[in-house]
Amino acid sequence: MLLALGLAAAACSDDSNDDEAAGSGGGGGGGSLLDEVRDRGVLRCGVNETVPGFGLVDESGEYSGFDIEFCKVVAAGILGDAEAVEYVSLDTETRFTALDAGDIDVLIRNTTWTASRDGAENARFLETTFYDGQGMMVRADSGYTSIADMDGTTICVLSGTTTELNLATAAAQAGIDYEPLTFTEADQIQEAFTAGQCQGWTSDKSQLAGVRSTFPESAGGPEALTILDETFSKEPLGPVVRDGDDEWADAVNWTIIATIQAEEFGITSENVEEMRSSDNLDVLRFLGQPIPSEDGEGDAAPFDPGLGLEPDFAVDVISQVGNYGEIYERTVGPDTPLGLERGPNALWTEGGLLYAAPYR
Amino acid sequence: MATTTAAGGRPPLWRDVRVLRVAFQVAVLAAVVAFVAYLYDNLQANDVELDFSFLDQQAGFRIAYTDLRPSDTVLDAMLTGLRNTITVALLGIALTLVVGTVVGIARLSGNWIVRRVAGVYVEVLRNIPPLVVIVFVNAAALATLPPIQEADRIDGLLVLSVSEIGVVSLRGDGHGWPYLVTLGLAVAAAAAVGVWRTRLEERTGTPARRWLWSGGLVLVVAVVAYLALDGPVVVSRPEVDGLRIRGGNRMGLPFASVLVGLVLYTSSHVAEIVRGSIQAVPRGQTEAADALGLSTGQRLRHVVLPQAFRIATPPIINQCLNLTKNTSLGVAVAFAELMGVTNTVIGNGDPAIPAILVAMGMYLVLSLAISLVANLANHRLRLVER
Repeated sequence: MLLALGLAAAACSDDSNDDEAAGSGGGGGGGSLLDEVRDRGVLRCGVNETVPGFGLVDESGEYSGFDIEFCKVVAAGILGDAEAVEYVSLDTETRFTALDAGDIDVLIRNTTWTASRDGAENARFLETTFYDGQGMMVRADSGYTSIADMDGTTICVLSGTTTELNLATAAAQAGIDYEPLTFTEADQIQEAFTAGQCQGWTSDKSQLAGVRSTFPESAGGPEALTILDETFSKEPLGPVVRDGDDEWADAVNWTIIATIQAEEFGITSENVEEMRSSDNLDVLRFLGQPIPSEDGEGDAAPFDPGLGLEPDFAVDVISQVGNYGEIYERTVGPDTPLGLERGPNALWTEGGLLYAAPYR
Repeated sequence: MATTTAAGGRPPLWRDVRVLRVAFQVAVLAAVVAFVAYLYDNLQANDVELDFSFLDQQAGFRIAYTDLRPSDTVLDAMLTGLRNTITVALLGIALTLVVGTVVGIARLSGNWIVRRVAGVYVEVLRNIPPLVVIVFVNAAALATLPPIQEADRIDGLLVLSVSEIGVVSLRGDGHGWPYLVTLGLAVAAAAAVGVWRTRLEERTGTPARRWLWSGGLVLVVAVVAYLALDGPVVVSRPEVDGLRIRGGNRMGLPFASVLVGLVLYTSSHVAEIVRGSIQAVPRGQTEAADALGLSTGQRLRHVVLPQAFRIATPPIINQCLNLTKNTSLGVAVAFAELMGVTNTVIGNGDPAIPAILVAMGMYLVLSLAISLVANLANHRLRLVER
């Protein structure tokens, strides 16, 4: 029913797929979504509400997690207020429909960037915020050490995901037979897995770590579960916007990139005020501060790369939310229940994959 | 009746259930066509093409308890989903008719306890949405059934576990099909013999003894063919083998949850229809039968039930269609029926609108096919006017 409504909305909105036009429907009268969001004063962010550490809603309706922090990053960068976010909970099967229909402005919901989604879904994938890989979680007392041991098992997986497709491929390569049990929500899988309806639970390793960290004590707690060492896919997760609105895509993308650049510069929410008077010209340019002239007379105007953002948007992002490292440590890092090491999500200077395009 | 103007006691067009049913279906079809045309118009205006080429692409995923391989096409996957839908619908309709009839008759029982239990069954189940019933059945099974390693079993008949359920079944063994065909021929022959005996009785007064003749014929053929084909049918018993059930009819918990949930829900409605239909047969009919000196059994068989059937058939057809369409609720408990598979296909990046159009077409064909069969049955049961 929801889906049908979404479809009707998709069909009725005056959304244009024409790459030439920046038009994206809504009340903007052919303008960019950027103006529409500014007028509205609130960012509508499509998120997950069931994955601990990434996107979770608690009893009081508060959202928290890694993806939620990036919704705040976008809101801080574009609206100057990290709290000006309206969260829209979506499941795996409604997320692209909601994006396409214009129900949300940006989708930040552990969504894997793939060629067919980029091509067919009317979606544009932005800077990857989390490099993930698919793994398998089993009960610690099951004795499985590899997916090759799991012949004849039932495996729980979210339907309509890359995970489901990778599972089929990985099982075929390992030469095992299995029955897939497919759900649309992680909550449903947890219920089935806890009851023993399936012997394995496959998903992105980060999600599995999140689930494991909050596994109820009544079912054995985190120690009752093991995540197998194997990683059988690449899962680059990041924000997604609608195709055909480059201005909006650029603005969102650079607020995300700013968090990575800030970590590279060593700018944190603690020291961002001091950094405003840094003597590093790259830092001043990045923070949108006036560049002092060499003879000390008259400062040059702040650097504005023409992204449609305020010159000092990075200050808002970092002071209100923090740099990439701070967000990571706070939500999924080693000191959180998830306990995920940085691994591939470290800066390129530290052997990771995070590499911000230069801000100049 | 002053308001009934049509000759022969037929109701006017706007109150004739047969006309109304056809008219309603035509109206719905027209509305659907208009809506689709409207959507198509919007699609054209937005340069979105209705491209069905994704149906030939590889599906890439598997569906539990089916032969679907990742290398099969998206169309194969959707047809597999349709087959799951049909399986649960047909099995569900058969069980619903049995359970509903029994409960409906129980509501008219002279026994206070039987009557009350049936009443509670009906009043509780028909006032809960079917989705809730299905989810409850599934949740109850998850909470109470043991993992397959410690499965409950009634030896040789039933294996119950939280992941799979196995039920004893009959299975053809090499000559299964010839045996089935032989049995079919025997039943047809028995029907012919039955007609012949009936006519003989009408003509000469010789007692027909249809059960003796027809039943005897089927039994003799069944036994002779069974011996001649060297035991073509074997009893297949479910056994736990590792993490799987071997033998018998095995089904996943999602299938069982949907089936049980829908049968519980729909049978409560059918029970009300059965009770209402029996009570709708005029009291005078029963009194007339008593006056003729018919026994209770004869009265039910020859007077009350034939008329009750006639009243009950159209609403029961509706319930069968409702059950068929409600199978799409299976998505809530991970049952991979047509709608679930369609959602998966869309999630995998295939275009949503063409995929849903294909699913709608499949549901339409299925529902119309069931309507057709049921309407034929209704036609056969219709009161013959002389």
